[in-house]
Amino acid sequence: MKNRFKVLRAERDWTQADLARALDVSRQTIIAIEKGKYDPSLSLAFKAGKLFNMQIEDIFQGDEDQLADQ
Amino acid sequence: MTNIESNTNSICEKNKRNTRSLAVWTSAWLLTLAMVAFGPILLWDFHKMITIGAIGANLLMGYKMIMANKQHLEDLDELQQRIHLVAMALSLGVSMVFGAVFGLLESSRLVEFHPNPSSVLFVMGISYAVGMVLAHRKYS
Repeated sequence: MKNRFKVLRAERDWTQADLARALDVSRQTIIAIEKGKYDPSLSLAFKAGKLFNMQIEDIFQGDEDQLADQ
Repeated sequence: MTNIESNTNSICEKNKRNTRSLAVWTSAWLLTLAMVAFGPILLWDFHKMITIGAIGANLLMGYKMIMANKQHLEDLDELQQRIHLVAMALSLGVSMVFGAVFGLLESSRLVEFHPNPSSVLFVMGISYAVGMVLAHRKYS
């Protein structure tokens, strides 16, 4: 699953530590999500959506979306 | 930056607090375990009531250590919990496989000594540490 964490964070000029603090997770988790090595839980995805003031599907792109785009 | 204020009860602070608590109770458990192991020989000449008291204290410290570990795991974030889960799965599996065959070494006459079950604790600890390193590498 792809996500726009890094872009959205950069747009707001936040560091990984800032984002980790806001989502109440470790910085390691933010790094893993940004690198696409870890897919967050639904509750964390909702939390990110609320923080970025966006819909979940605007932040995360599932495999089906990727296939449809191709 | 105004909308992401620092949380006084952040995961980082909870981790620090829980790690400190876990260290304290683990030290207390180890100390009372050493008392049970060496106290009867070196300190109270096998006095039964004192030994029973020391065992009681050891069980109590063990309970507190288990609870501290449980709290530590519960307060980790979801990725950290997953990392520990991977390490625990590896540790449990390796310990079970190693423990089962280790117990059979003497009966199958491969070794002369009587296998000590506490050796499995070392395997458990080492495999847990290896599991943690592998899982950290996977997600970093």
